[in-house]
Amino acid sequence: MLQPKLKSKVRCTDHDIGEVTRVVLDPLSHEISHIVVSMNGSGERQVMMTQVQDVTEDAVQLRAPSSEILALPPFKREDYVTTHEVEISHLEDNIHVTPGEVLVPIPDLEKSVKRRTFFMNFTHVIGFLIGLPLAYPVLRFLMKPMYANFDNGWLKVGNVSKIKQEDVGTQFKYMKHVKEVYMPEYEVEKNVWILRATPDLLERVYQGKDVEFHDAKGKAIWTNKKDVPYIAFSGKCPHLGCGFKWRQHKALGQVFLCPCHLSIYDAGGKVLDGPAPRGLDALPLKVSPSGEVEIIDMEFKAGTKSQIRIV
Amino acid sequence: MDIKHSSPSVIPDHEPSTSEKVLAFLDERLGLKEMQAKMLNEPIPGGSRWAYVFGSILLFIFAMQAVTGTMLMFYYVPTADHAYDSTQYIIHDVDYGWFLLSYHFWGSSAMVVCVFAHMSQVFLWGAYKKPRELLWLVGLALFGIVITFGFTGYLLPWDQRAFWATLVGVEILDKTPIIGDFIARFLKGGASPGQMTLSRFFVLHVMILPAALMALAGLHIFLFRVAAPAGPFKGTQEEIKAKTDYFFPRQIWKDIVGMAFVFVGLCALALWEPVVLLDKATPDPGEYHPEPEWYFLFYFQLLRLKLFGGQFGQFMGAVALPVLFMGLLVALPFFDKDPERNIFKRPIALISWIAIMVVIVLFTVAAVINREFLD
Repeated sequence: MLQPKLKSKVRCTDHDIGEVTRVVLDPLSHEISHIVVSMNGSGERQVMMTQVQDVTEDAVQLRAPSSEILALPPFKREDYVTTHEVEISHLEDNIHVTPGEVLVPIPDLEKSVKRRTFFMNFTHVIGFLIGLPLAYPVLRFLMKPMYANFDNGWLKVGNVSKIKQEDVGTQFKYMKHVKEVYMPEYEVEKNVWILRATPDLLERVYQGKDVEFHDAKGKAIWTNKKDVPYIAFSGKCPHLGCGFKWRQHKALGQVFLCPCHLSIYDAGGKVLDGPAPRGLDALPLKVSPSGEVEIIDMEFKAGTKSQIRIV
Repeated sequence: MDIKHSSPSVIPDHEPSTSEKVLAFLDERLGLKEMQAKMLNEPIPGGSRWAYVFGSILLFIFAMQAVTGTMLMFYYVPTADHAYDSTQYIIHDVDYGWFLLSYHFWGSSAMVVCVFAHMSQVFLWGAYKKPRELLWLVGLALFGIVITFGFTGYLLPWDQRAFWATLVGVEILDKTPIIGDFIARFLKGGASPGQMTLSRFFVLHVMILPAALMALAGLHIFLFRVAAPAGPFKGTQEEIKAKTDYFFPRQIWKDIVGMAFVFVGLCALALWEPVVLLDKATPDPGEYHPEPEWYFLFYFQLLRLKLFGGQFGQFMGAVALPVLFMGLLVALPFFDKDPERNIFKRPIALISWIAIMVVIVLFTVAAVINREFLD
């Protein structure tokens, strides 16, 4: 069935009663639910679409006699808003009755323009050419501080006389000078765990082999000898980089425990429990005859099975 | 009454006052009345509900975060040598600085809570389904932005809590295969956290994320208006139509009451639990036990599981699990094509939601219990 058009004649079973002046849309189904009929001078009536029997190009045929339509209550405009005053998307998509096309003339200058596609693509190319040379400089700009050389200098961290007991972790705090780009040089507090190891523990840690440390180019910079009874562990937990502590554990005795994700290591740095992927990271260490300890402050990537140095 | 409201041909029955003239002047140029009508006259199928307040509340919280955050920037200095001192200055010396800072701090928690409530409501109501898929996707992006806001803002006071939460958070991102190392260095501006990290997080927090959030929130609301509210998941069309009302006044009333509740709640939290900084950030945690903000505790506890231990386990926990979870949420409206929206007729959805809730609650409680065990 066609949709009732504005200005269409409305016919009842007996005779014409007027013309369509508006349509009412259902906001949920978006279909026309009513027509509003102007009753040849007797006001407007709102007629449900179910009352409509047939719609032709210029007329709407109702099922009811005119007396029945006249008996309907008068249409109340104030109960409605227009589609311009309400936000229901695509509300009008389902109505096909409009007063006709609404036309706007195209400007004369536009009529003679050819190669519209060319101009469109040209615009995109220019935009791309502006953006492209910027991409790499911006990336380099942001990457400037990301990769730095390793600092292989030795740092004094304290005296071994601080260690009271063998195979017990003792924390040594030290200040590290940091010179970060344009910032004034400042000191940060860091820490390292040092043990005086029994021969038994040394054997377990070194397994009969000296440990060699290399710089970024692979050149050897230091060897931790297997018979030096001191071991230094980086204060950074190899799980996710927190700071671990020396703690009494109910079942495992004295252990290194990381309070973040509860990784547990024995005095030799071996993983006893928890999520850590590798043991604690031993650092290059030298002890002077007077007992002064020096280390190279290295940091390794957390969360990997193998040691990957990042600082 | 045939004439449109905004039509200038309406002849008033009295001489217009100056304010009416100004209004008419503006309306003629801007179409204010039509704009207002369109904003307020949005039909809500099935009528207004308290369950629908979270979107508006989120907008309100964001606006308050923007205001309080802008205030904080009047004194805060994003440098490694001054961030901590300037934050302490805001807390201890600036009039009502403690209040603005604490409101901003608790506002971030409220944001996370309301995002969670908002997402849950959409999920349970089945409102992500056709034709609202894009609305859901943009919502997920906004969720990511809110989380990133919390993460980047956490570092700015530059105290121990800030330092360690950031250090561990970035280590988690570092576990991404191939690009993880690059991402971590890119965020930190180097191999270890320092001034470059603070600068980067600051720019993200006060410039990039607010711009992204405003753009995406605008898109979110636009998509919401295009798709129209989903309405209740049960009831016949007739019942729903009978209860339908406009956004104004009933829903706006509920929204404003919700906002007032959030405002009073945040003020109360700021008063009773004002922000207290720990020691200044340093790579030595001392006696401090690093811990993330409470809404990340469950995840923190999850990472303690042996299941997520070792290099592969860490990849599973730090990368695969969150990516899989977000991936599922992204794919949700595309594989869940059943038009049924009633949550009581969607057992898998209901059970999944309950299971996630249970995991979050259990693991959060476990993390809290673990605290005591550590001390």
